[in-house]
Amino acid sequence: MSVLQMFLIALFIYLGSIGSIVGNTIGWYTLGRPLVASFVVGLIFGDVQDAMIVGIPLQVMYLGNVTPGGAVAWDLSYATYIGTTGALLFGQGMDATALIGVATVFAGIGGLVGQLVWNVTYALNIPLNRVAAKYAEAGDTKRMYVPNVVLGQTIGFIGRFVPAMLILGGMTAASTQADFASFIPPYITTCLTIFGGMMAALGMGILLSFLLKKKWYVVIFLAGFILVTYFKLSMMGCAVVATILAVTYYEVSAKPAQSEKEA
Amino acid sequence: MSEEIQASEEAAGYLKIHPETLKRAFWNWFFWNGCSQQAESMQGMAFAQSMAPIIDDLYESKEDKAAALKRHVSLFNTEPQVGSICNGIVSGLEEANANGACTPEVIESVKVALIGPTSAIGDSLWVGTIIPILLTICMTISQSGVSWLGPIVYMVVYPVGTAIVSWKLFQLGYKGGLEGMQSLMASGKLDRLTNAMVLMGLIVVGALTASYVTCTIPFGIVGDVFDATTGTTTQAVIFDTNTMLDGFFPKLLPLLLTLWIYHLYTHKKWSPLAIMGLILVLAIVLTAIQYLTGYANVQAVAAAAAAAAA
Repeated sequence: MSVLQMFLIALFIYLGSIGSIVGNTIGWYTLGRPLVASFVVGLIFGDVQDAMIVGIPLQVMYLGNVTPGGAVAWDLSYATYIGTTGALLFGQGMDATALIGVATVFAGIGGLVGQLVWNVTYALNIPLNRVAAKYAEAGDTKRMYVPNVVLGQTIGFIGRFVPAMLILGGMTAASTQADFASFIPPYITTCLTIFGGMMAALGMGILLSFLLKKKWYVVIFLAGFILVTYFKLSMMGCAVVATILAVTYYEVSAKPAQSEKEA
Repeated sequence: MSEEIQASEEAAGYLKIHPETLKRAFWNWFFWNGCSQQAESMQGMAFAQSMAPIIDDLYESKEDKAAALKRHVSLFNTEPQVGSICNGIVSGLEEANANGACTPEVIESVKVALIGPTSAIGDSLWVGTIIPILLTICMTISQSGVSWLGPIVYMVVYPVGTAIVSWKLFQLGYKGGLEGMQSLMASGKLDRLTNAMVLMGLIVVGALTASYVTCTIPFGIVGDVFDATTGTTTQAVIFDTNTMLDGFFPKLLPLLLTLWIYHLYTHKKWSPLAIMGLILVLAIVLTAIQYLTGYANVQAVAAAAAAAAA
């Protein structure tokens, strides 16, 4: 991995993290999603095809990764950029399932580092309140961006970019040491494949915690499940069925409320 | 307030925030809502930055500006994308306050009151439902051939769509105020929309579980079977846990695993990290079973039988 590639990946790790300078919508919720992150890494490495092979399973595993109330469950940006990079760097000559396994391991390492870094910057931001209070006291409306954007993002950038460069540097150094595809014994790849397949259940479980507002809703979940297992629908087919039902529900449930309003 | 400015205002002499200022307040929030998050004021500094142009527009004296800024650097937290409605509502209240129709105390209490409902709606409806559904659709696009198309579609649709919705909510908050939000919530429209999204989300998550979660018990028994028609003895799979379970209910194990993890996460309050650890332990145990019971042999025999049948 060249220095330029390392620099670009580390930059995107920063941009895709919570509260980066491009905003949460473009950063955390777009560049930070595994689907997009693996695509970006693929572009940087010139190998979009392989990157997407690991990108989609990572996206499924982390589909439930949302940040309620500022508590970061898992630093997705770190996890997926490092995970995809790891797979492309160390997975040469491996088949798809093993590649996904390697990506899962690196994503785990990246996610842990990211979470640590997040906690550090979260603490380092606290003194910025004093700066903000000073400007507020002076009624300086023109400089309220200083504590928030300038200082907040100086901390954010250093806190995310530097550790990312260190990890990527370490990975580059390690990748030149050995041919990992032949080095890793088959039972490790088997274990990683099993691990990856079950990790998808974590993403689904977290999403269900948002969606299962009443106990009986579990039957709707089951309906989606059997659309695939018994009716052999593709994901797109299921999404279409789900949309039709949602629109129908929305319109049908509107009738009593509307007539009340008109009366 | 100078006579000049008052004269330039509308006939009633009512102070209005310039439309361009509203846009600046919105973009300040859209890009930099999370720039300085911390445990003390959460998104307080970002909120103050968003309000700064509006405060500049409405108040003349340094003291008024300082007082307004001070009430906005204090604690604030919401799901920022849907939460832009808060910025809109507070802008409207600041405008009323500058015209003597509201008090700082009201502004502060309204802000605090907005934290709960806007975070709840934002987290469960927007982040917890719309993003996963959109990602699912884009993953499907990627899988059905053109792998780069999914991320590209997501990178365009999500930010643009969110910016539009977020700006509409900001305007709704500014124009409709707290009453506007309350009437939206009371009309039942929001409840219906949430329920419809939940319905859609559950079906999609169900389908995703069936498509992507894999979990098998790698255990089987191979035995010699006497084939009466040919009079020879061949090896055949006598028992395979997965074939047996799938014959009963396809993908039963992935379904049970997902519901179990949901239970651990939601009811037992396990952290995602702890669950990952549990999954790793399970994976190691299952790998051990696979190697110790020689499951590869079972699979080979099953494959040979399938090949022979075909």
